[in-house]
Amino acid sequence: MGCCLAFDLTILTPHIPFLLKGAVLTAEACVLALAGSLCIGMIVAALVTSASPVLSRIAYVYVDIFRSIPFIVQLFFFFYGLPEIGIYVGAFTTGVIALSIAGGAFTSDVIRSGILSIDVGILEAAEVSGLSKPVIFRKIVMPIVLRTSVRPLGSVFINLILTSSILSTITLNELTGSAKIVASDTFRPFEIYVILLVAYASLTYLVSLGIGALHRYLNRDLMTAGVA
Amino acid sequence: MISARGVRKSFGAATVLDGIDLDVHGGEVVSILGSSGSGKSTLIRCMNGLEKLDGGRITIDDFDVSRQKELTEARKRSATVFQLFNLYPHMTAVQNVALAPVEVLKTPRKQAEAEARALLDSVGLSARADAFPSQLSGGQRQRVGICRALAMKPRYLLLDEITSALDPEMTADVLGILAKLAREGTTMVFVTHEIEFARTISSRIVFLDKGQLVVDLPTAEFFAADGGLAMPRIAQFLSKMRKD
Ligand SMILES: Nc1ncnc2c1ncn2[C@@H]1O[C@H](COP(=O)(O)OP(=O)(O)OP(=O)(O)O)[C@@H](O)[C@H]1O
Ligand SMILES: [Mg+2]
Repeated sequence: MGCCLAFDLTILTPHIPFLLKGAVLTAEACVLALAGSLCIGMIVAALVTSASPVLSRIAYVYVDIFRSIPFIVQLFFFFYGLPEIGIYVGAFTTGVIALSIAGGAFTSDVIRSGILSIDVGILEAAEVSGLSKPVIFRKIVMPIVLRTSVRPLGSVFINLILTSSILSTITLNELTGSAKIVASDTFRPFEIYVILLVAYASLTYLVSLGIGALHRYLNRDLMTAGVA
Repeated sequence: MISARGVRKSFGAATVLDGIDLDVHGGEVVSILGSSGSGKSTLIRCMNGLEKLDGGRITIDDFDVSRQKELTEARKRSATVFQLFNLYPHMTAVQNVALAPVEVLKTPRKQAEAEARALLDSVGLSARADAFPSQLSGGQRQRVGICRALAMKPRYLLLDEITSALDPEMTADVLGILAKLAREGTTMVFVTHEIEFARTISSRIVFLDKGQLVVDLPTAEFFAADGGLAMPRIAQFLSKMRKD
């Protein structure tokens, strides 16, 4: 034997600030992309379920396109393809936009099915009471969708976090990108990737705890009855 | 006044309303009776603009519900209470009641909520004002539904079988509230299977049969042996309803 170095995390101590910087970048990209996905998802879901066949068709095409192309291909297209025709906005912005667009497609699908599962009687009650369409969407449709769909929306968000590691392929030194650099600098891929595994697992675990708490809060009226 | 003239409505090949003429004046309680499928709910849904007419005209205080602009005004004057309550599940009782006053009538939120609490209090729900619909019994939910309608200070209340999802005790609660509203002079269009109750609160009874309004009589005449009861179709309907 004698082939293997001992597992030694202390070797990485000097690189912790660098890794943390990467983690912060990941967090920033994810939070921005989450906000972007939610905005796009709400608008697209509103269009898909709208009365206009043209708008709904356009929205469907968007969802279909971005769900049927690997994220890395979309990302390369935005980062390496678009500059060829004069569109260049920097790696971070490109990454956030690409994540938002791809995340928005999945988010809109969750929101759409949430909207379709709302009891029509509730929407009719809102309509006859004189509430305008935008008010109904903001005050009734979206809150009910959030309530019923926090968990599936949470899975989309967690997927977004995991997918953000792909941003390392467009020169962005987020968590995965900085880990790759440290791994090649220190020749300690085992330790560094163990850390990376633990970091992503903890991140998604924390997020899923938050989602669970949000779900319980939004459905607090059903919790005491033991229904949900 | 709610006025229906020659109202026609079809679903596909099926004609559901076949030329309805009906006037409801301020202060009247008009009960709509008729067997299942005769078109009662459809008529109510035409009045509040949830169904588009295929012919004829419905106006509420001269606002034509078929015209988008006038529908908004028509809807401010009428309010609907539904068979299955249709409360907003993510809002408490107070929030359910105060939403439309705040958003449509532009009542300041504080005032709207105070008014909502007063309304809930008047139907015996002051202790449940901050409960969510899922935490209320059916009868309590329907009382919130009535408050939600009343909060808009409507001139006309449209009520479609609002007790048929309730057990007898809760039905009595809700009907008690309607009786009080009737005494106070609230104008109501009341679709119901509660014949005896309709008899006590209605000024007029109309009878729908296969999409046609076959009888429109003052209540006493409707139930008189030489009035409505003289018509075989109505005698048959009433005796069947009383057996159930
Ligand atoms: N959206 C719809 N699409 C197709 N048919 C419908 C629709 N709504 C109602 N109908 C049909 O129209 C007819 C009248 O229905 P409506 O609900 O008005 O009857 P109703 O008098 O209220 O009956 P009930 O006492 O059972 O509530 C029925 O035959 C029903 O099947
Ligand atoms: Mg009906």
